[in-house]
Amino acid sequence: MKTTVRRVLQMREVTILGVIIVLAVVLSLTTKNFLSTSNISNTLLGLSGIAIVSIGMTLVIVTGGIDVSVGSALGIASVVAGKLLMAHASAPVIVVAALAAGFAVGMLNGVIISYGNIPPIIVTLGTMNIIRALLFGVLGGRWVSGVPRTITPLGLGRFLSLPIPFWIALVLIAFFSVFLATRSQGRAVYAMGNNADAARVSGVNLNRTNLFVYSLTGALAGISGLIYVARTGIVQTNSGTGFELEVIAAVVLGGTSILGGKGTLVGSLLGAALLGLIQNGMVLLNIPALSEGLVTGGLIIVAVLIDIVRARGARP
Amino acid sequence: MKGTLDRIIGNRMIFLAVLFVFFFLLLAVFVKDFFTLYNLTNMTQYAVELGLLALAETFVILSGGGGIDLSVGSIMSLAAMVIGVLIGRAGMSMALAVPLGLAAGTFMGYLNGVLISYTMIPPLIVTLATMYGYSSLALLIAVDPRFGANPMPVSNFSDSFYFLGQFRIFEIPFQVLCVLIPIVLVLLFLLNRTAFGRRLYGVGSNETAARFSGISVRRVRISVYTLSGFLCALAGWIITSRVASARPDIGSSYLLEAITIAVLGGVSIKGGEGTIGGVVLALVIITMLYNGMDISGIQPIWQLGILGVILVGAVLLNQILIARRRI
Repeated sequence: MKTTVRRVLQMREVTILGVIIVLAVVLSLTTKNFLSTSNISNTLLGLSGIAIVSIGMTLVIVTGGIDVSVGSALGIASVVAGKLLMAHASAPVIVVAALAAGFAVGMLNGVIISYGNIPPIIVTLGTMNIIRALLFGVLGGRWVSGVPRTITPLGLGRFLSLPIPFWIALVLIAFFSVFLATRSQGRAVYAMGNNADAARVSGVNLNRTNLFVYSLTGALAGISGLIYVARTGIVQTNSGTGFELEVIAAVVLGGTSILGGKGTLVGSLLGAALLGLIQNGMVLLNIPALSEGLVTGGLIIVAVLIDIVRARGARP
Repeated sequence: MKGTLDRIIGNRMIFLAVLFVFFFLLLAVFVKDFFTLYNLTNMTQYAVELGLLALAETFVILSGGGGIDLSVGSIMSLAAMVIGVLIGRAGMSMALAVPLGLAAGTFMGYLNGVLISYTMIPPLIVTLATMYGYSSLALLIAVDPRFGANPMPVSNFSDSFYFLGQFRIFEIPFQVLCVLIPIVLVLLFLLNRTAFGRRLYGVGSNETAARFSGISVRRVRISVYTLSGFLCALAGWIITSRVASARPDIGSSYLLEAITIAVLGGVSIKGGEGTIGGVVLALVIITMLYNGMDISGIQPIWQLGILGVILVGAVLLNQILIARRRI
């Protein structure tokens, strides 16, 4: 019993949760808008897209890979959704098409990585640039705004006073957490990350695992792109630029090892929440936009440092 | 015969050399104005900043342990702004401002190295955090209180400042002949002929073994990040002189290209494997392709796409050839 409590307290998730709580208390004492319903719900809305894609990214990083093309996958899904909205397509068609667009990008990554046996960083750097160029070809550098409001509820709707995108993130995280813990494909992801050779010898299909994690990440980026369009009503060539670093930051902050084999979806959600909270806090505290990078960077280091110091202290 | 073919396929350097010849002939035949003395010498200037950053990335990735430096572009911007502000706004002499700018960049790299070695935070996180932090610093430095709270570029330099980035010797850009080539030679020597180079490969390929053979892993890692900071600062100085302006976001677009060139050049992302020669060849190929696409009037965004196809295509081709050889 005692050891269980100790083990829970030593988890990375608990450290991050602690940092989040401390920040939240500080913000609620120093600003008057932090605890308002609209502020909390806007913050949750802002981090939902990152949280959704972080599910796939966590799995990718657990297998020992990386996917820097998620920003482009988000972009292509938002362009597909935007074009269909302008053509007055029905909501189900738009949802399926945007998901399929993201899925296709992920599938392409997965196929090249597994069958070409090429490092994921090269493949996804390549597809990231290729898709961005294609988007430019489709939109020609223009941007589309004021699209019909067919799917707007998906981005701006509320359920039990929380934003719909945040519910989507929660449901997906719950589903995939159970999936990872109970299904053999879920265990295969961790096995591959710990020791790919040993996993293969014990019957894990590495190619199929790669296809699974990259396609899933692409599809989730598709959902994020859909939410982006639904929320903002804007489609641009550069939608989602820089998104990949935010997602990777959330995942790695949440305790997923960049060397593979270790990480949880709840940790990544907390990582996304911490990043969202930092950004929200800077707005509320009127910290000048120019210093934002300094504060974000500093807090990322501090958060990870606390965890490392704690882990060291816990070691017998 | 079969042995020769095997060697060509198995060696990344030779593969890249073949690729180079192929693209060179392609561009020379199909792109008007490519194969002229003016163009061939002129385009080399665009390889300098990118090359310095790719070499910085090469050393960092070689050192292993998940080594990567996401802050290269930010350090470049920061050094450019330090030099720009000291000369353009504080009226400091070049002889003082430039060393200070280079020292600032080197220190930023050192800070990365110290954070990584002493805290055990993965390099990806440390340099992601400092990428945000350093570019924020560059923006803050760029604010001129006399003109409000927005960051402003600096472009009032004296003529002597433009010498580095705009002077030519026999048509060859000064910074290619007197910075890039000497740096490549020094790094080549450092990596292949010194104890430091052996230690670096040792640490990168097997950290535990290196530690047991008495190598200070920490010192090696701090050195490569410091070196990276210096090379990035150098790139910041050169680009400021070449484009005659210091902007706080001047280096932001270089990060992914620098990593692309290092990886295309055969540097293994896992560390301990890769050569300067391969990286230089990759740099030459990419610079040449950019130039060819530029003078054919292809839009920059398409250039990125084509580059992506070539990156994946080249490595895929290499892998397929290796796989076929095994059968």
